[in-house]
Amino acid sequence: MGQTKSQFSEEELQDYEDLTFFTKKEILFAHKKFKQLAPEKVGHNKNAKLSMNKILQYPELRVNPFGDRICKVFSSSNDGDCTFEDFLDMMSVFSDACPKAVKAEHAFRIFDFDGDDMLGINDLKQVIERLVGPDNCVSDNDIKQLIQNILAEADLDDDGALSFPEFEHIIDKSSDFNNSFRIRL
Amino acid sequence: MSGGKDKKNRVNKAHGWEEAGGEFYQESYPADWEGLQRDPAAIATLLPSKQNRAATTRRARSTHQDTKGSRRQQTATRRRNSTARRGSQYHEVQVAMLPDLSQDLTDEERIWEEIHEIKTMPVSMAQKKEMKAQLQNATKLRLQGLDQIKWQRRKVWHQVVAKWAEVLTKMELWRNSLKEIEGNFGTGVVAYFLFLRWLMFLNLAIFVLILSFVVIPHVVLQEPMDKPCDAISESNSTQCCTEDYFNRTSSEKFSILDIIQGTGFMEKTLMFYGMYTNKIFGHYPYENASSVSSSHSSLYRAELYYDLPLAYISITAVYFLVSLAAIVKAASREFKDRLVDGEGQFYQYCNLIFGGWDFCIHNEKSADIKHKALYNEIRGLLHSKRLEYERHNRSRDFMFKLIVIRFLINILVLIILAISAVVIYILFEISLRHLEPNYKHSHSPYKLFQSTSTGTLASFNAYGTINSNLTSSTSSSGEQIDEELANNDSLILRSAQNDGMLTLEMQLQNLFHEFLPYIAIVCLNVVVPIVFNYLVEFEQYSPMFVIKISLLRTIFLRLSSLAVLLSRFYFLIIPEVVDDECYRKNSGTPQCWETFVGQQFYKLVITDFVTHIFVTFFVNFPRSLFAKHIRSKFARFVGEQEFELSKHVLDVVYSQTLCWLGSFYAPFLPAISTVLTFFMFYIKKFACLVNSKPSSILYRASRSNSLFMLILLISFAIAVIPVVYAVAEIMPSRSCGPFRGLRSVWDAAITAFMKMPQFFQNIIFFFGTAGFAIPAFVVLTLFLYYYYAVSDANKHMVQVLKNQLVLEGHDKQFLLNRLSSFIKQQQEYQKKMVQYERDREQKNARDRNRTAADEE
Repeated sequence: MGQTKSQFSEEELQDYEDLTFFTKKEILFAHKKFKQLAPEKVGHNKNAKLSMNKILQYPELRVNPFGDRICKVFSSSNDGDCTFEDFLDMMSVFSDACPKAVKAEHAFRIFDFDGDDMLGINDLKQVIERLVGPDNCVSDNDIKQLIQNILAEADLDDDGALSFPEFEHIIDKSSDFNNSFRIRL
Repeated sequence: MSGGKDKKNRVNKAHGWEEAGGEFYQESYPADWEGLQRDPAAIATLLPSKQNRAATTRRARSTHQDTKGSRRQQTATRRRNSTARRGSQYHEVQVAMLPDLSQDLTDEERIWEEIHEIKTMPVSMAQKKEMKAQLQNATKLRLQGLDQIKWQRRKVWHQVVAKWAEVLTKMELWRNSLKEIEGNFGTGVVAYFLFLRWLMFLNLAIFVLILSFVVIPHVVLQEPMDKPCDAISESNSTQCCTEDYFNRTSSEKFSILDIIQGTGFMEKTLMFYGMYTNKIFGHYPYENASSVSSSHSSLYRAELYYDLPLAYISITAVYFLVSLAAIVKAASREFKDRLVDGEGQFYQYCNLIFGGWDFCIHNEKSADIKHKALYNEIRGLLHSKRLEYERHNRSRDFMFKLIVIRFLINILVLIILAISAVVIYILFEISLRHLEPNYKHSHSPYKLFQSTSTGTLASFNAYGTINSNLTSSTSSSGEQIDEELANNDSLILRSAQNDGMLTLEMQLQNLFHEFLPYIAIVCLNVVVPIVFNYLVEFEQYSPMFVIKISLLRTIFLRLSSLAVLLSRFYFLIIPEVVDDECYRKNSGTPQCWETFVGQQFYKLVITDFVTHIFVTFFVNFPRSLFAKHIRSKFARFVGEQEFELSKHVLDVVYSQTLCWLGSFYAPFLPAISTVLTFFMFYIKKFACLVNSKPSSILYRASRSNSLFMLILLISFAIAVIPVVYAVAEIMPSRSCGPFRGLRSVWDAAITAFMKMPQFFQNIIFFFGTAGFAIPAFVVLTLFLYYYYAVSDANKHMVQVLKNQLVLEGHDKQFLLNRLSSFIKQQQEYQKKMVQYERDREQKNARDRNRTAADEE
C-alpha cells in the first residue's frame, strides 16, 4: 500500500476525490486493482495507458458482453485503451454512490453502438444478441418481435428509436437497473 | 485534451451554427455542413434535443444563471439539463462557453458547488480536471459575514457526511462475501442475503429494546422485598405460589442438556418470562403487599418508580410496531413503483433488456448461465403471449379435464396439510403424555448425567437409533397402546425418580420425546414441499404462477404446523385455575405456562437451526461432492442442486416467525435469533457457493425483494394474532412472571391507564365515542375519495400527454422530412443554376468564339 501511496501526491488524490464518487482510500484501492492488470507498466508510470485487451482482463469486464463497449465509452482516446484516469472514471460510474441519472447517461452510450445518439433498431438488435450470448440463438423473428415490444413500451414519440430522454425515463422506472448496473470495487 | 478542444473550436468557428460537442462521436458524427448536404436526412442530428446532451463541457458554465434559486444539487442538475436542452440558440450558448470571465462573478459557494457537480458529467478525467482548475482560478466574490459562516458550516457538514460514509462502508458487514456471491449468482440472490442481514439487524434492534427497558432495569434496580409466604394466611396468594415455584425449580446444577432444552437452571435465568418480577421498582409496598389491588393503591408514595410489568407489555407492543414499520418501509418502495405504473408489467421488456445483465458477475461459468437464463427469459416472455392465446383457444373438454385435475390436486393438497397437522397433533400428544408426570421433576434426573451427555451431537446420534425403533412402534400401534406405553413410561419414570436413578436410555428417551414434535415438524417441512412440487406439474399453470402457488402452499404447511402447536398449548393452558390452587396440577398444566411456552419456542428455534446445519453440511454437501466428482447422469440427478430462492426465504421467514411468537415468553429469543441469523448467513453462503450451481431461473432483485417482504408481512400478521390473543384473553399463571395475579396481561396496561390524569383519560375515552368516530369516518372517506379523484385525473393526464408526445413526434418527423426535401430541392436548384450558369458561360464562350470567328 505504501508503494501505491507514494505514486500519488496529496493534490492529485484530492482532485480525484472531488471529481469521482470515491474516497481517497477507494481511489488507492482502485489503483491497486489497475496495477494488477499490468504490474510493471503501471509501476513505471502510474497513469499508463493500457490497451483494451489488458483492461478487459478485469474480471467483471472479461465476462461482460458489453466489455469492449464500456472500454470505448470511457476511453479518452476513443479507441478502447484506458489510462488509470479513465479506469477510475469507469469505476466511479459503476459505484454505488453514483446517481441514477449519471449511470443512465453512460448506459445509453454503451448501448448506442453506431453512435447516432439514438437507440435504433440495429442497436437494440446488437444489445439483445450480446445479452443472449453466442451459444444461444434467437430467431430473427423473435428478435423482431422483441424489438417491437420494447419500442411499443418505451418509444413515446413513435419515431422507431429510443432517444435519450426516453431511455432515461425507462431507467427511472426500472427498479433493477441500479442494482444491476454496478461493479463493486 | 487541449488539442481536441482546439480542433473543436476550429470546427465551431468554421461552421458557426453547428456545435460539435460530442467528443465521443466525433468520428461518426455527421457534423459538418458539407456532410449534411450530402445526406439531408442527417439534419435530425442537429436537433436541440440531440445536441445538448453531448455538449457537456459548456454545461457547467451555463448553469450559473439558473441554479441560483435552488441549492439542492438534484434540482440543479435537472434544471441544468432541461435548460441545456431548451437552449436552441447556439450562438448564445457558444458565447457563454467562451472564457468570458467578466460575466461570471460568482461567489465562492457557487464555485464550490459546481466543483462538486463536475463529477456527474460524462466526460473524461482530463477534462474534468481542466474544468476544476478553470473554476478554481476564476475570479470570485468572497462571501461576507453570515454567508461565509453558513458556507463553512456546509463544507464541514459535507466532510462529516463523507467521513461517515467511509466509516460505514468499512464497517459494512459481509462486504466481501456479498461481492463473491454477487459475482457468482447475480443480484437476485444477493438480495436474499441482504434480506438476511436486514433481518439480523431487525432482531438486534428488538433485542436492544428489550434489553434496555426490561432486562437491565430488572438487573440494576433493587427489587422490593415481599412478605414471606409463611406470614400470609392464604395458600394461593401470588407470593406463596411464587415461592412454591421457586422451590420446585431451584437446587439445579449445570447440565448441557438443559441448555438445549431450556429447562433446569436455564428456567431460572432471565431467559424466560417466569423470572421477571411483578414489582414496581422504587417503592416499597412491604406493609400492604398481601393483595395486588392494595399494592397498586400505594403507588404514589414513591415519586420515581419503574413499573416493570407496564414496561414489559409496552415494549412488546413497541417492538411489534417497530417490526411492522420496518417491513412496511422496506416494502413500500417496491409497492410504490408498482402503484405509480398502475399497468402491472409496464416496462417488462425494457427492464429485461437494459437491466438484464448483472455487471457485477465476474465468473465465466456464471456468465454462461446468465446468458442462458436471459435467453430463457426472453423466450419465455415471447412465448407467454402465445400461451395466452392458446389458453383462450382451449377446447371445452380439455378445460373441463384441467379443472377437474386442478380441483382434485387442491383437495389432495388440503388433505396432505390436514394429515400433517394431525400427525403433529398426535405426536405432541404422545410427547406430552410421556412428559406430563415428568414435568414436575424433569430436572432432578439430569444432574446425574451431566458427565454422560458430553455434547449435543453425540446425543443426537444416539437419538437416531431410538428414533427408528420408536417411530415404528408408535406408528403401528393405536391410541390405546400409546396411552399404555405412555403410562408405563411415566410409571417407570416415577419409580426411577423414587430411586433417584435413571438409566441413560430413559434419559435419552425423555429427550427424544421432548423433541419429537419438533423433529416431526421439521421433517414434514422437508418432505411435503417436494410432494407439492411434484403435484403442481400436473396442473399446467404458467411458470410464474407455479412459483407463487407452491410458495403459498408451503407457507400454509409451515404455518399450519405452527397453528397446531399453538392450539395444543392453548388447550393445555386454558383450564381455569380454581381459586385455591396455584395451578391445575391434574390437567397437566405446567406451573408456569408462559415459561413452558417460551421453552417450546426456544426448542423449536434450536431444532430448526440444527436441522439447517445438518441438511446443509451432512446431506447437501456430500450430494454436491458426489455430483462434482463422479461423472454420470445418475450422480448429477442425485447431487446437483440449484439455489432455490423461495425455499431458502421460507426457512428464514419461518425462524423469524418463531422469534416473533416466542419473544414475549422468552425475552432473550431475539438475541438468540440474532446470533443464529448471523451463523445462518454463513450456512446459506455455504449452501449457495459450495453446494449449488447458479440457477437457470432469472431472479431479479426487485421482484424477489418484494416477494420476501410480502411473505414476511404474511407471517408477521399471523404471528401477531396469537400473541395479541394471549395478551388480552388468557390468564397469566400465578406463580411467575410480571403479570402474576392479574386476570390478563392487558390488565396491567389498563391499570396503568387508569392511573393517568383524568383529563388524559377523558381524551382517550372520547376517541371511543360515536361523537368522534362518525365524523372521523366521514372525513376519512372524503379524503379517500379526494385522492382517488386526483389519481384518476393524473392517469387521464398521463394518457393525454402520451398521445400528445406521439403527435409531436409525428410533427417532428414531418417537419424534418419537409426540411430535408426542401434542402434537396435547394441543392437541385443550385445544381441546375450551376449547370445553367455553366451552360450560359459555355454558350457565351461559344458565342464569343463564334463572334471572334465571325470577326476573323
